[in-house]
Amino acid sequence: MHKINETEIHVFIDAIGHYFNQISNEIAIVKAAYLASDAEPPPLYDYLGTINLSGDYQGSIYFSAPRILIRHLLIAMQEPNRTEQDFLDAVGEIANTLAGNARKHFGEFMNISVPTSTAAPFTELQNSTRIHPFVIMIKWRQYHASLVIDMERIH
Amino acid sequence: MKLMIVDDSSIIRNRIARISRHVDLAKLEIDIVGQASNGKEAVDLFVKAHPDIVTMDLTMPEMDGVECTKALAYMNPAVRILVISALSDKSTALKALKNGASGFLYKPFNDEQLISALESLVN
Repeated sequence: MHKINETEIHVFIDAIGHYFNQISNEIAIVKAAYLASDAEPPPLYDYLGTINLSGDYQGSIYFSAPRILIRHLLIAMQEPNRTEQDFLDAVGEIANTLAGNARKHFGEFMNISVPTSTAAPFTELQNSTRIHPFVIMIKWRQYHASLVIDMERIH
Repeated sequence: MKLMIVDDSSIIRNRIARISRHVDLAKLEIDIVGQASNGKEAVDLFVKAHPDIVTMDLTMPEMDGVECTKALAYMNPAVRILVISALSDKSTALKALKNGASGFLYKPFNDEQLISALESLVN
């Protein structure tokens, strides 16, 4: 099993920057990138979008954000509907987009699932592949979100 | 020109529909004839609505976008399909084009990029 390195984490950081810039014409700031631990678990907010990986990779990619951030993103997209289903849809679509964009680096054999989305309360991230998943903390406008990369190359 | 929108995200479907009604595109007389949230729904809708152009997501439940593109292109070789996907590896785009897609637009896209891609598709 091959560990994902720091350079490869930048693939996701670039994807985050590109996403928020394209959708809102505003930059998102990466506040921190670190390895999660028992003392510092990945921060989860109101909504969680999950992409499961298969093929040459195993694990999951998670995007979590508070309701207010998703609400502002929906406004930026001029989306008039803001039901609970729309918030879940949005967080899943963001996870899907960030994981899909990462295939530019990781290649076609990083198979990604359709997104699943859930709302808080959460217990903890399931199916942990890495003992210490990577956490990327994002700030867009004044709101925080997190991208958790829990993946390893298996082939 | 009749447009069908295929994506498992209702937010993306709504966004494509909204941008497609953009004033520049209105000159191209695009009429949205239906939306589908997976490949199977898209095939059923395609038979009923006879769209001229289709926007197609790739990662979808039931039937994925490559399979759906292949099916639609088989049913009507003249249909123009714009794949709109986050899958950014080159081989996925080539696979979609090989199976009948006419163009490829990466997510996340902005309004101008979608309009430009649709204009290229229509023209």
